[in-house]
Amino acid sequence: MRKFFSNRRLVMIVVALVVAFGLMGGSVTLRNNRLTPPLIQQFGNDIIGFGNDIIASPANAVQNVFTNYSDLLNTYHENKELKQQVAEVAQTKVRDQVLAKENKQLKAELNMKNSMTDYELITAAVITRSPSAWQQQLVVNKGQSSGIRKNMPVMSAGSLIGRVEEVNKTNSKIELLSDTSEAANRFAIEIDGKNGKTVNGVITGYQSETNELVMGQVTTKASISKGTKVYTNGMGGITPKGLYVGKVSRVGKDDYGLAQKVYIKPSADFNNLNVVSIAKTDN
Amino acid sequence: MYRLSRLRYLFPIGLFIMFFLDGSLSKIFASFFFSYPYATVSQLTLLWFVMAYFFEGDIQIPLTFFAVIAGVVADVYYSGILGLFIFLYPLIVWLTRVLAHSFNPSFLTSILIFFIDVAAFEFLNYLAYNIVGVTTMSIVDFVVDVLTPTLALNLVYFVVLYWPISAIFKWATKGEN
Repeated sequence: MRKFFSNRRLVMIVVALVVAFGLMGGSVTLRNNRLTPPLIQQFGNDIIGFGNDIIASPANAVQNVFTNYSDLLNTYHENKELKQQVAEVAQTKVRDQVLAKENKQLKAELNMKNSMTDYELITAAVITRSPSAWQQQLVVNKGQSSGIRKNMPVMSAGSLIGRVEEVNKTNSKIELLSDTSEAANRFAIEIDGKNGKTVNGVITGYQSETNELVMGQVTTKASISKGTKVYTNGMGGITPKGLYVGKVSRVGKDDYGLAQKVYIKPSADFNNLNVVSIAKTDN
Repeated sequence: MYRLSRLRYLFPIGLFIMFFLDGSLSKIFASFFFSYPYATVSQLTLLWFVMAYFFEGDIQIPLTFFAVIAGVVADVYYSGILGLFIFLYPLIVWLTRVLAHSFNPSFLTSILIFFIDVAAFEFLNYLAYNIVGVTTMSIVDFVVDVLTPTLALNLVYFVVLYWPISAIFKWATKGEN
């Protein structure tokens, strides 16, 4: 025991611990406060991203073959169900176009610039996922050079899945809504309550046991019914308005019985992501 | 001599493949690895280091050096939080060395040492992230939801890959004797 804790070794252990926690604390702070990581880190990430392609491309190709096969098996059944929806979608789409056009004309009339509902989607392929229990992170193949910035919301299959956590030149990291860290899923959202009232709030947490997002601290009296669609409300300036989040699965009281707590079932499957789109506001 | 053996190419290439396979497997089998409430961590990189130590024979691979490299890359690319894996990988290499000295080498002791390595790795990872504030998971949840499935998966890796990797190292070190 005395040999183990010899002076030199003890000093080394202490120094290593100090450096480790200094670096960790420093990089967590940097990550929260700066829009991009230090240049050397970006450079490293870009190089490693290229290296990763050598392994990831064949692996993803194999995955695609299997996905295609299982998709094929479901096709007949799916086709039947989807046919029924097609007619409905066409009608909605036309109406949407007309409304968008009208909206544009009205905005021009009012001399209004782009509002929070105007955004474009940048499509990116998922290269890999962090092998970590706590950081639910994906690496995607688009970065600053494609116009991606930190904190932009990320969508997949038409609904919100997370936000951009770190941008490098050619790739970026995305933090999923299911991440357990404090800041991962703080999106400002809005729910249409009964009798025309709107409930605004923030996603305050994620319950992994039931795969539900939690919107806490709801103090309005408006009653919210199960199955209501939840979407982002555009507050905060980076996330556009009207990104679909999920459906209300249940409404409960918080621990003190004072405020309401709304549970939202996200419509995206966080574990089956190959292509994502990143929403970029125009203004 | 490491410099003259086939391991000089084989070990870094294997490390490269294992490191990126960790991420690719986590992505491809995400619905299996991260099915609620479990979170399984693929540790092929760690497996490669531990196996390399067991099978290197007389050839001394500079494992600590490679562990630091792998740690830096994992920090920058997979987590984005610097300063954890750069120390954790070398620490586990050192732990393997210490443990291996007190056991006779066999399949069973190897798997036992790997078991301890993975458990130590995950626990220290959890502890550090808890202190820094990346996670707020309770220790009970950690043991049930993270440690148990992680150990299970990685022991399966170990059992499946023990003989293939052993054969590869045997081939790579054969030229020496």
